[in-house]
Amino acid sequence: GKRAIRTTEVVRTERYPVEEATKTRAMADNTCQSEYCNAGWGEVLTHMSPYGYANFGIAFGLGLSVVGAAWGIWLTGSSLVGAAVKAPRIRSKNLISVIFCEATAIYGVIMAIILANKVKKPDEATYYLDNNWDWSGYYYAGYGMFSAGLSVGLTNIASGVSVGIAGSSCAIGDAQDASLFVKILIVEIFASALGIFGIIVGIIQSNSCQFPIAPLE
Amino acid sequence: MATPAPESTPGGMATFNILHGFPEALVRGMRSSFLADSDYHHLTQCETLDDFRLNLSETDYSAGVQDKSSLTPTSLQSAAVDKLVTEFQYLRTQAIEPLSTFLDLITYEYMIENVMLLLKGSLSGRDINELIAQCHPLGMFKESTMRSIPTFESNSKGYSDLYQTVLVDTPVGPYFSQFLQESSDRFGDSRNVLEEVEIEIIKSSLIKYWIEDFAQFVDKLGGETKAIMGDLLKVRADTNAINITLNSFGTPLNEPAMRASDRKRLYPAVGHLYPAGTSMLADVADEDELGRVLELFPQYSSIWNIHQSGSGDKSIDDAFYERDVQQLELAFEGQMHFAVFYAYVKLKEQEIRNLVWISECILQQQKDEINKFVPVFSQHSPWRAKKAGAGR
Repeated sequence: GKRAIRTTEVVRTERYPVEEATKTRAMADNTCQSEYCNAGWGEVLTHMSPYGYANFGIAFGLGLSVVGAAWGIWLTGSSLVGAAVKAPRIRSKNLISVIFCEATAIYGVIMAIILANKVKKPDEATYYLDNNWDWSGYYYAGYGMFSAGLSVGLTNIASGVSVGIAGSSCAIGDAQDASLFVKILIVEIFASALGIFGIIVGIIQSNSCQFPIAPLE
Repeated sequence: MATPAPESTPGGMATFNILHGFPEALVRGMRSSFLADSDYHHLTQCETLDDFRLNLSETDYSAGVQDKSSLTPTSLQSAAVDKLVTEFQYLRTQAIEPLSTFLDLITYEYMIENVMLLLKGSLSGRDINELIAQCHPLGMFKESTMRSIPTFESNSKGYSDLYQTVLVDTPVGPYFSQFLQESSDRFGDSRNVLEEVEIEIIKSSLIKYWIEDFAQFVDKLGGETKAIMGDLLKVRADTNAINITLNSFGTPLNEPAMRASDRKRLYPAVGHLYPAGTSMLADVADEDELGRVLELFPQYSSIWNIHQSGSGDKSIDDAFYERDVQQLELAFEGQMHFAVFYAYVKLKEQEIRNLVWISECILQQQKDEINKFVPVFSQHSPWRAKKAGAGR
């Protein structure tokens, strides 16, 4: 209620000079003129809580990675089961394709756990945040974790689908000619490397993200 | 057209496997059950049919030939066709739309053959059980429908009744209705059509409608299926057109009056030869003119030259079979499309033809003819021999 709005008021007066704020309000004719309303998309995005951003990042990171992994397992599993009817010898070897797909889901879980451990609530329960709150660290943490989650999630969708299609062709080719398996496996290794890129960049992005738990001294 | 448009497409690389991955992988696994060069080598070396059976029992056909006391070419053919039908029905039960409609369309060709066999047979008064035993198992429809075909009288009223009550229920009914519609404006009434038109012409017309229907369905599926299967159907249509023209020489169909009206109607409206080639083919009177027309189409001129030059060694049918096998093998090269199912059925048929040919040659002790078959997925195929030096 009123307490939250007072927080944003503090932000607004510290971040924008007063003239700027009145100018933006005057420019928007048919928008809400109250000082409690957002004056534009910039304000909408910056007024979303960094905790919200961070947790959405965790959700996207995990969710999209699992979508990619599941998609890949769909694709490769159906071909594996079908081809194994006439060529049962391919059963155990080609489970490696499924494991590669599963690895992309694991990258998502790793990232989600790392990020979830960084989300900390403040030491003292206050009605509104102090003036010497570490605002830059606060927002940095929120945005950083959101983008780390997206990095991991989106790259893992691509990686999962790619490994799935390659794995499907691998199973079918292996059923005809056993010497093809190892060579096509190299294609899958390159495809799963895409997921590794995602998690490396995600870790770098989220490394220095720290949610402040106490005001600066 | 007869078959309704597909409700969904097969999907591209990323979505095909969700619904159709399992049947497609099954068919590709079955590719390994084709007889290899070494198998054919052993089979052609056999002196008796018992040797033949012994060698066959080491291939995928072992289950089919085991429980037979002695092997004849006819029993071999029926055992091999039964095996193909079992595999096809396994695929059909695992299929989901639109693959199931696609597989059904493959069977309609055999259904047309069966219907015409029953019609022709009942006209000459043969026993219905004998006829049903001769039907191709891939194209069976309801037993009650099949048994009711000979019960109709062979006059005009009987035929229209036959159509209206019996044939319209079968999946190939729409092709009949199309045929009757297009002929009724010439003969005035559907009753007279089935009487006056020869059975062979009815069959050619039905096959024509089937090819067009299939081509339209495949067109709507889009993607790689449309590209590969569309090409296979075009080649099929052209083969039909050329064969109709070739077989009409010396029959009443070749008379100038009949050519434009009757023979032209039998050419399918798909294919590389359509529309320019077929309109030229409609005027052709003898083999020379046919050769001249085909020279304009490079892919058929080479086949025609085989027919013209070596009429003792290889017939035009053999040349067509070779070309067909080459194209059908190519359908197995790409993944995630439906054409592999059609290619599998046709290549298995070719293999059955090969087996029957070899067994007949052994039976009649004609060893010099024994190698005149077209092996499937052979390393020694003429189109593969060119790359022999590249190191396989």
